Amino acid sequence: MKRKRLAVVLFVGVMLAASTLFAAGRQEVATTQDHGPLVPNLVILSSLPESNLVNYEMSQELAEELGKLGVNMTAQPTDFSVLLDVIYGEAMDYDAYTIGWSGRVERLDPDMFIYSINHSSNANPGGNNTERYMNPEFDALADAQRSEMDVNRRREIVWEAQRILAEDVPRVTTYSRANVQTYNKNRFTNLENMSGEGLFNEWTPMVMEPLTDRRVPVVASNVNITNLNPFMARSVYDWRNLRLIYDKLVRLSVDVTPTAWAATGWNVVDDTTIDVTLRKNMKFHDGNPVTTADVKFSYEAYMAQKDSYFASFVAPIDSVELIGEDVIRFNLKYAYAPFITTTLTQIPILPKHIWSAVADVTLYNNAHPIGSGPFEFVRFRNGEELVTSTYKDYFHPVKIDGYIFKIYASPEGVLSDLQLQVVDMVSYDLIPAHTNQIKANEGGRYSHLQITEAPDIGFFYIGMNMLRPPFDNKAFRIAVAHLVDYDYALDVLLDGYGSRGGGGLVINAANEFWHNPEVPIYDTYDPAKARQILSDAGFTWDAQGRLRMPK
Amino acid sequence: MLTYILRRTLIILLMILLVSSMIFLLFRTMPGDPTASMVDPSIPREARQALLERYGLHESLWTQYTIFMKDLVRLDFGSSYFYTRPVLDVIKDRLPATLILMFTAMIFAYAIGIFGGAWMAWRRGSKMESVGITFGLIFRSAPTFWVGLMVILLFAVRLRWFPAQGMRTTGYEGTTFREIFLNLDFLRHLVLPALTAGLYFLATPMLIMRNSMLEVLSEDYIEMAHAKGLPERRVLYHHAARNALLPVVTAGALFIGSAIGGQVLIEVVFSWPGLGREIVQAVTRSDYPLAQGSFIILSTLVMVMNLIADVIYAFLDPRIAY
Repeated sequence: MKRKRLAVVLFVGVMLAASTLFAAGRQEVATTQDHGPLVPNLVILSSLPESNLVNYEMSQELAEELGKLGVNMTAQPTDFSVLLDVIYGEAMDYDAYTIGWSGRVERLDPDMFIYSINHSSNANPGGNNTERYMNPEFDALADAQRSEMDVNRRREIVWEAQRILAEDVPRVTTYSRANVQTYNKNRFTNLENMSGEGLFNEWTPMVMEPLTDRRVPVVASNVNITNLNPFMARSVYDWRNLRLIYDKLVRLSVDVTPTAWAATGWNVVDDTTIDVTLRKNMKFHDGNPVTTADVKFSYEAYMAQKDSYFASFVAPIDSVELIGEDVIRFNLKYAYAPFITTTLTQIPILPKHIWSAVADVTLYNNAHPIGSGPFEFVRFRNGEELVTSTYKDYFHPVKIDGYIFKIYASPEGVLSDLQLQVVDMVSYDLIPAHTNQIKANEGGRYSHLQITEAPDIGFFYIGMNMLRPPFDNKAFRIAVAHLVDYDYALDVLLDGYGSRGGGGLVINAANEFWHNPEVPIYDTYDPAKARQILSDAGFTWDAQGRLRMPK
Repeated sequence: MLTYILRRTLIILLMILLVSSMIFLLFRTMPGDPTASMVDPSIPREARQALLERYGLHESLWTQYTIFMKDLVRLDFGSSYFYTRPVLDVIKDRLPATLILMFTAMIFAYAIGIFGGAWMAWRRGSKMESVGITFGLIFRSAPTFWVGLMVILLFAVRLRWFPAQGMRTTGYEGTTFREIFLNLDFLRHLVLPALTAGLYFLATPMLIMRNSMLEVLSEDYIEMAHAKGLPERRVLYHHAARNALLPVVTAGALFIGSAIGGQVLIEVVFSWPGLGREIVQAVTRSDYPLAQGSFIILSTLVMVMNLIADVIYAFLDPRIAY
């Protein structure tokens, strides 16, 4: 009896299953005709959680949000060097990724974030336009700002370019970090935290004042210095010291205006000719005079090095001439507006009498750098510290007697030495946990520390390969901009130390002069709206709820 | 004996060639090429190509390999990509700091471990024995970075007996080995990291010694020694411990071989400028010459120390002959 009942149940079950399957099959046939092709399965290459937790989390979130919209996206944590290989590789084989541009001071000039990363001429393999964004209207503006030497007219062009980027959304900026740093306020004063540079910018050591008889501040770094040869130094940390040992024609002031420094001024003769007048009576640390010949030699030496850190800054220079006793004339290949703000502010003046005697400058150890900058090199112990003293004959009075750049292996180590007052200031951004710990000041152990915060002009973003569907579709990219929870990134993942992102935002509010306040246009987390945008653009959902491209 | 050593040396030489080839291949199969960490992405792509050519990385793998092997035979490890200095110079810079730290920790661990282990075997089943084992195992299993942080918190931050970071006081003067290492300031900086590393290493010699002592103590000649009426201490340290020492010697020799690699976590926690951190960094930023050089030297040392341990065996135990 029991067995018979079981058979009936089984029979009914099988029949039911068969009929639903049949019905589903028929429906499938009917609906595919109304839909476009399936949105392909996507992979987003994210950071490894240990190298950038925020990027990692944001890509997981995006994959989840797209999943709810019927798009299958996998977040794949990837080692940084592998990621660079993939997005700069010949094959251009990727859908989306998370990465960032750091906010170095020379990037305050809009050329990098407008031209270099968005112009179609950089969209081929190996170029910096890894989103492969190509818009002729935008290209025209990017070209125009490059050759516009009038700063206000250039700003108008840059603003318009930003508006187009915000509408086209080639990438979705997720957040910017803040430069949160600290120093010992009982010992030193007049320290300025500079956007993208932090406390140990090129001005602080020249203007900070000691309050006690401790006249040599100890600056903590969490990264080692690797190379003191100005042709081979490739890290920001090397350059933060080299730029104080070597001098430059122009320096960017704390409020980021180009200020004549080792030069007394410059004269834009025409769009491609710039004359710079060298300051008189300057000397190198070994007593030799600084001449225009040294300047000419330095620029030409950099022009000859195709793989130097400054390769892109000297690329527009055609030739360097000496006119009279103290004028250096730069002849450019084409009008290049960032010449004064980036080229003249970055290239160090090297002593010709030392470097011209070196057969191959790239192989020279430069164990004891001789420059003409405000600080003299004293000694460097790899992995431990770089010691400098103030150059007494410098034309600008410096109030400290030198500085020591001390190298630590972990931020925890720096924190304990901050408490023990071994360290006077940090040269990197504190991790949020340490900022909170210092602010809480439990037991008064951090009372001597001053926290400073400056917004960063760098940014982190989700890049999308626009050569591939669905990212070749503008509506889809705009929808993605609505799937990113900008407040979650800032308030939860960054503890509030930073600023919000938005679709196509490349020059943020920290860069006051160049930022267009009307952008970003798409910067709210709103999945319902994303669905609406997709639907309005002709995207459809099939019976399985999978998103399909417009027909 | 001499033929044995000769034969082993020959095998070691062969092994070095094999290991070097493997290391060479391993680094090149690792994803990401060195220019990725060397070049800022914002510089022109020609620069990347120029860099590849500078380091010969545009050549075929086979050409690179033959050049590498030719140089290796002449003991030329090449120049580090990042330091643009010979690999051996970079290693020489960092090696003393690592070796001094490791040997201090080793002397601490092996002195306490050998005597402690022998004593624990003697007092088998006592409360003191379990206290000793627990103590050793706690520090063996606790993460060294955590022990390091606790040691810093207690001795450097709370009690202020010792400095917390680095190996010399900031701004010290000195360039020669004597000026850097042979002074009180260095010793004060050495105490905490050596203590942390020593506590971590302690369990190995202590437990090995205890185990092998237990075996030896059950041998007839120990009973004989007792029967002769020898004092306990003499039986323990003169008759038993000497024979129980063999496995500890092997462990110690291998330890020395790998000591050059240092204890990366301890170097990080104490900002100790040792070679371990350098090797890790060389690997992460694909500094092939520096990483290859370090690993080849490291593996060679392990093999040589193994041989030395085997030779010492023959002296410690006359029953062993080659």
